[in-house]
Amino acid sequence: MRSMLICCVLLLVGPAWLAANAQSPDAAGVPPPLPFTAPTQVVAKDTPSDGGHAITIEWAAVPGVDHYRIERQGEDGDFAEVTTAGRLETSAEDSGVENDIPYRYRVVAVGPAGEEGVSSETAPAMSGPQWFNLELLGVAIAIVAFVALVSWYIRRARRGDDLFVRRIAGLEAVDEAVGRATEMGRSVLYIPGTGYISDIGTIASLNLLSEIAKRTAEYGTPINVPNRDPVVFTVAREVVKGAYAAAGRPDAFNPESVYFVVENGLAYAAAVSGIMVREKPATNFLMGPFYAESLILAETGAMTGAIQIAGTDSTSQLPFFIVACDYTLIGEELYAASAYLSREPLMLGALKGQDMGKLFFMVLLTVGTLLALATGLDVRWILSTSGY
Amino acid sequence: MRDKLPLGLLILMGVLGLTSRFIPHPVGEGMNAYLRDTLLRIISAFALILGLGNLLLRHTHKLEHKEPGWPHSIALIAGFVVTAVIGLLGGVSGEGPLPTAIGSFKFDITTIYNRVLIPLGATMFSLLAFYMASAAYRSFRAKSWLAALLLISAFVVMLGQVPLGGQISPIIPQISQWIMEVPNTAAKRGIELGITLGVLATTLKILAGIERSWLGSSK
Amino acid sequence: MNWAKLTQIDRRIIFITVGLAILIPLIFPIRMPVGTQRVTKHLFQAVEEIDPQEQVLLLSCDYAPQTEAENQPMTVAVLRHCFARRLPVLINALYVEGAPLLDLAMHQVMDEFNAHAKANADSILYGRDVVYLGWQPPPIVPILSMGRSIKGIYPVDYYLTPMDSLPLMTGVHNYDQVGLVLAITPLASPLWYVMYARTKFGVKVGAGCTAVCAPDFYPYCRSGQLLGMMAGMKGAAEYEELVENEYHPGGRRRATEGMASQSAAHLLMMFFVIIGNIAYFSTRRKS
Repeated sequence: MRSMLICCVLLLVGPAWLAANAQSPDAAGVPPPLPFTAPTQVVAKDTPSDGGHAITIEWAAVPGVDHYRIERQGEDGDFAEVTTAGRLETSAEDSGVENDIPYRYRVVAVGPAGEEGVSSETAPAMSGPQWFNLELLGVAIAIVAFVALVSWYIRRARRGDDLFVRRIAGLEAVDEAVGRATEMGRSVLYIPGTGYISDIGTIASLNLLSEIAKRTAEYGTPINVPNRDPVVFTVAREVVKGAYAAAGRPDAFNPESVYFVVENGLAYAAAVSGIMVREKPATNFLMGPFYAESLILAETGAMTGAIQIAGTDSTSQLPFFIVACDYTLIGEELYAASAYLSREPLMLGALKGQDMGKLFFMVLLTVGTLLALATGLDVRWILSTSGY
Repeated sequence: MRDKLPLGLLILMGVLGLTSRFIPHPVGEGMNAYLRDTLLRIISAFALILGLGNLLLRHTHKLEHKEPGWPHSIALIAGFVVTAVIGLLGGVSGEGPLPTAIGSFKFDITTIYNRVLIPLGATMFSLLAFYMASAAYRSFRAKSWLAALLLISAFVVMLGQVPLGGQISPIIPQISQWIMEVPNTAAKRGIELGITLGVLATTLKILAGIERSWLGSSK
Repeated sequence: MNWAKLTQIDRRIIFITVGLAILIPLIFPIRMPVGTQRVTKHLFQAVEEIDPQEQVLLLSCDYAPQTEAENQPMTVAVLRHCFARRLPVLINALYVEGAPLLDLAMHQVMDEFNAHAKANADSILYGRDVVYLGWQPPPIVPILSMGRSIKGIYPVDYYLTPMDSLPLMTGVHNYDQVGLVLAITPLASPLWYVMYARTKFGVKVGAGCTAVCAPDFYPYCRSGQLLGMMAGMKGAAEYEELVENEYHPGGRRRATEGMASQSAAHLLMMFFVIIGNIAYFSTRRKS
């Protein structure tokens, strides 16, 4: 009887006592979170290819998790939250650390109902800066390869090898256009774009200006070069002066033929339109970077009956030039112009190298596309830059 | 020396700028930040001064020698001086030492911007609509089947880019969208790839000293 | 009919006709449903997904008075969207000529919202809900420098107020706190942000551009480098409609008002092209 009584008391009191002990960790009465699966394979390491002050923590995914909490051990030995990560993420970065100081981390998987699974501590990890960004390795290799290719073709050109360049209609027409102006007794108007000297299109345009100025010097045709940028104006003046000297006609150079108009693009277009309507040049060259004013210039020139040869790397303006001009150099044909007209070995070699580089990228794109279609693999890493 | 010094400076700055892009170390970042945040801004400021100085020199020269169009130079210089004085001394909205209102007629820099610059700029840009119509009428000819195809695409896109196209048929904006997203994108990518490689080659030529036109030399 | 004459229509007649086609719908307004392109919806969604408690939107503009008609309605529509969501906004100008236009847009939309506000909590307050960073040349400098520190490149705002005194800037340090950069431009500033800010700092980028530049940005929208785009005045009208349908902020919708004029101008241009081709083929057949 007595043993039955003791068993009943134990059966009644025991579970209640056990439950109370399991759910009351402290005097405040806050129950600890229910257990959840802890992340495994937790690793902390220096974030690669950065300037330091960052440690990357990685872990294996936990099924059913709501989010992760990443904690760093402080000097007092306690762990405090530094960042959180979403349920699909398996890495996080702590960017608030000092270099060359070891830090330990742990990752807490938080379940949908707030239950937690705490990983074991990681081995100490230290952050530090790197000297090379490995994510840009593909880009670096591509640049070196491209430089090597261009250099090789320049050497070939210097050796006297014949390098084929296809016919470009707009450049074939340059002599005819300048000749037309000479026969009609009118001037050549050269607009070197509305960009800055830092624009590659402007540099290409100034190269072409040099070739055209040599021809106008030889034929005795007046040339008019209004400029939108003061720095481009100073360079253009020197280029034309040098071209006249190279053609053996330094005395024929008129400094007033190259001048600065105004810096505002549309005001420049208005001024040059006025020049076109008043002076009626026989030939207009519109070469370089252009913006909204391109159509105003091209259409006004067309209205005056001038022959117009345009070239720009501003793709949004190409349709306007194609519509309003007799010949248009599209994109890189502008960069090829000076090499095409001067036939200088250095220029031709660089042009061929550039073309071969384009062929290489075309092959890479085709192979990559076919690979991706056939296998479903992501092949963008071949030319990775961070954040592609 | 005239060519060698700028060339040397160019190569040094080019190499520094290029390599610092690949170096995440604070040394590289610091160099990059110095080039960008300090040097580049100083150069930009001086380029502004150069532009203004050139503008004034050019037009005062025109006035002195009574070249054709000299009355316009008076208008330009007067506008420049008036705007500069009002802007520097009149405050942004008239709170400076120079009074910029006569009764309710205000001529502070904000009023000049809102009442003169905005309408002038918008007017000049609006000329494009008229020139576009004139160019379209004069030049858009279906001289070949390719040109005809281009014209039809242009019509579809023009209709698709305005609400009227959707009113005529819901398929027009869809075709227009497809033309912009597929053939246009393919063509743009091809042109941009070529241009980018051309820029890279030209930049390399400049950094290597092969391209020297920017020095003002025809060599 | 003498088709040859049709090849020689005086340009002035063309100009007058285009002028009337644009002017008449502005005087006698015609409203038509705008419809929405995919790229505009994506941009709207990208702005919707920014958590106002955690991040801000950076509105970066480099347009000038020349393209005010196309770009300003974009800025106004985006500001209405942000203010309706209570999404904090930073504004910066990459081009000095456009800086006062952004000030105008910001104050216009703030006044619209504050006209209906009953208390400070409802109002849009400068410094708490929006900050105008101002202009720093050249454009590449702020684009890269904001990755390290926004206050470093903009120590004071457009009105010369120290950044540290503005409540919004307390928690905003660099691109980590920017949910989206929305670049409104007639040039290529969205691509500068993609090339420099996105690749280096991982910030998301959207675009608002003039119609002539829109074809340049479609490849970037297709590849996901730009999350979305407002293409031209139609894109601005689409965004205005999306914002109005979702939040009803009211206010004048300038881009939508211009759609009838744009439709008429496009139709007229197609008419001139057709006439020119008919005349061309007729005269060619005769000769």
